[in-house]
Amino acid sequence: MSKDTVNSGGALQGVRVLEVSSLSGAVCGRVLADLGAEVIKLEPPGGEKARFDAPLIPTANGEESASWLAYNFGKKSVVAELDSDAGVADFACLAKTADIIVTDFQRLSLADMDRLEAIARKANPAVIWTEILPFGRGHEYEDMPATDTTLQALGGHLYLNGEVDRPPVRVGLPVGLIQAGAEASNAALMAYYHALRTGEGQRVDVSVQEVVIWTLLNTTMAWQILSLNEMRGGAIRKERANRFYTRLVWPCQDGYVVFGPVGGGGGSARMKSYAALLKWMAEEGVTDEILTRHDWNGDGQFAIPQEDYDAVTEVIKGFIETKTSGDLIARAVRDRILMAPINSIKDIHENVQFRDRGLFKPLHDEARGLDIELPANWVRMSETGLAEMSPAPAVGADTDALLADVSKVKEAS
Amino acid sequence: MTKGIFEGLKVADFTWAAAGPIATKQLADNGATVVKIESFRHPDSIRLGGPFIDDKPGINRSGFFADFHSSKLGIGVDMNHAEALEIIRPLIEWADIVAESFRPGIMKKWGLDYDSLRKINPRIIMLSSSLYGADGPWSQHPGYGAQGAALAGIQHMTGWPDMPPAVPKGAYSDSVSPRYALAALTAALIHREKTGEGQYVEMSQIEATAQLVAPQLLDLQVTGTEAQRAGNFKPGAILHGVYPCAGEERWITLECEDETQWEALAALLNDAEGLNAARAQGRDALDSRVAQLTAPVDAFELMKACRAAGVPAGVAYKGSDLLEDPILEARDHFWPLHHEEMGTLKYNGPAYRHNKTPAKLRSASPRLGEHTDQVLTEILGFTADDLASFRDRGLLQ
Repeated sequence: MSKDTVNSGGALQGVRVLEVSSLSGAVCGRVLADLGAEVIKLEPPGGEKARFDAPLIPTANGEESASWLAYNFGKKSVVAELDSDAGVADFACLAKTADIIVTDFQRLSLADMDRLEAIARKANPAVIWTEILPFGRGHEYEDMPATDTTLQALGGHLYLNGEVDRPPVRVGLPVGLIQAGAEASNAALMAYYHALRTGEGQRVDVSVQEVVIWTLLNTTMAWQILSLNEMRGGAIRKERANRFYTRLVWPCQDGYVVFGPVGGGGGSARMKSYAALLKWMAEEGVTDEILTRHDWNGDGQFAIPQEDYDAVTEVIKGFIETKTSGDLIARAVRDRILMAPINSIKDIHENVQFRDRGLFKPLHDEARGLDIELPANWVRMSETGLAEMSPAPAVGADTDALLADVSKVKEAS
Repeated sequence: MTKGIFEGLKVADFTWAAAGPIATKQLADNGATVVKIESFRHPDSIRLGGPFIDDKPGINRSGFFADFHSSKLGIGVDMNHAEALEIIRPLIEWADIVAESFRPGIMKKWGLDYDSLRKINPRIIMLSSSLYGADGPWSQHPGYGAQGAALAGIQHMTGWPDMPPAVPKGAYSDSVSPRYALAALTAALIHREKTGEGQYVEMSQIEATAQLVAPQLLDLQVTGTEAQRAGNFKPGAILHGVYPCAGEERWITLECEDETQWEALAALLNDAEGLNAARAQGRDALDSRVAQLTAPVDAFELMKACRAAGVPAGVAYKGSDLLEDPILEARDHFWPLHHEEMGTLKYNGPAYRHNKTPAKLRSASPRLGEHTDQVLTEILGFTADDLASFRDRGLLQ
């Protein structure tokens, strides 16, 4: 297959999505737009609140949200007051032409979701109504207040992060909300696939708490099987469900690398990685009996005493500290050592693998005076390319055109 | 009984570790027939990762593995055997989807790259998910999700500003990538439904995970500002932190975004004067005052009171708390499933609910090669003599 065989038009060409959102709904819309759907944002006059979420950046319009711009390029915008009769009528007209509607709890109350879903369903029984809620639907807790950080906590991830002598620490990004948006995109598409084959529409709800639980990987099993509540760690922690601590973050001359040389579970890749490290150390005259005292990644790794893990770590740490991140990664890639640089944001922007793969796509935004790149090329599909880049819409940029279109549909029907 | 969304969909699943199996689990839990192909000489490596039942390592004893393999069938084949395609080729003819998550090049070595697959089955959709992507200078570099999280900025953004980055729990990029992979895969199914055309879907975990820092990448380009980890500090909030409560390792997040929430919390903690004085002194003074007030309090009682008062609060749940959480119970999040060697364990169900076509976790994870005979005879139509021949030649266990 050649990269030239990609046809124009995304996999979701012809799919229309309405988005009544803040952050998480916009991320859902982002994924659908990337895959070729037409995504129409319904905004109140003056624009949705998320246009002013941190971090703010200067544009020709004044200050705008970097988060909003990053997740809303290439979409359309219609102004509709969803609590007025006229706005609801416009919403119903648009809903009739839509395949998927997306919303989230930071934008609409549950009562508004119910009201608007009923209107949409009446206009279009096959529509997929997609909603992102802190705890999902259908129980007495569905309407409790929550934020990304409370959901990192209630999803069990917060407890597991940070230094043992300080409070647990969050991931410093709204990861629950963003991941919930991505999850909503696939859940909505599953429902749309079903509607396409059967004509049956339905409601899909996503729980941010459950989304966060799916970042834990083995925590709930560790409790059930071993009555073990894992303890948080920083640079040094108990990896997987281990009983012993190993170092995972290693200082080098100019930054940090992540590396699990010993005791991290089985697999031949771990063993080969450790062997390659020892070979490199030996070439540079670094040898020590502790390095080969145990089969550090073999079947007996769970029985090795903590003091031996600590001792081998000291020797490896001494070696890594003499290297730059660039030296380490060049050798790691050459010899398949399981190591990666801890990239800063700037490192990501410059990273050779991202660059070579063409992750970043340029976006020229004339109206805002921006020439930027976004990490938009997140999947390669041989027959259906991703959408072309175009700027995020001004508030209501498409109101007249789209409402004129749907009113024609209305008259014709 | 409603049918699952993917009922009738056939999946040949070569994925291993976490990201790939989590994605194909969604297909299986929604009704697809997912056949996991393991090379019995090199089984899925997370079978070797804990927790193990009774704390005894064993190929069919890992809870880590089990949770990602509900509703799947498992077969064990020696994939490096020169005649492995005798079994695999009919499986490709049968399948709608082939999914794999090997280091790029492995499927080609077996004669199972996309160009070969489409010759066998022109409508096939193939998903390849790897850590770095199918090409580029790092494509052959082995790695896990902790490396993925480091490369995509998650580690840089987690921890205290005066400390090295804190590694977030888990192979974090393994949890991001399946969400994007399923969106792309389902879009490919939709395209095939409309046009009859299959295709190749190729993804990198680190590219999916980089979607989480898109705003920070934009901010960097426009303002030159590089986002940094900042502990639990949140700009603009009056209060945003994690505070100790009574008991061993009990913590709660508390947030006040506006004066109403602030006054409600101050009243709840019964210390408006002290809290206002601490707030005037700055963030550190405020955090330590709040910590003094919360330290003797029961975390769950405080959360309940905060919820009633409209103050966002969340106990930092431990694994045990999740299994006892009334919300998750009301949501039917956990699915008890019985496994011959592991007994009954509660598996994690999906984060989404479809109100007309709910997902259903149908069975516990397969033991290595558990369904080899069933799949080869019932699905692929081989005879007992065929199976005996495969075993004689070492293709099957």
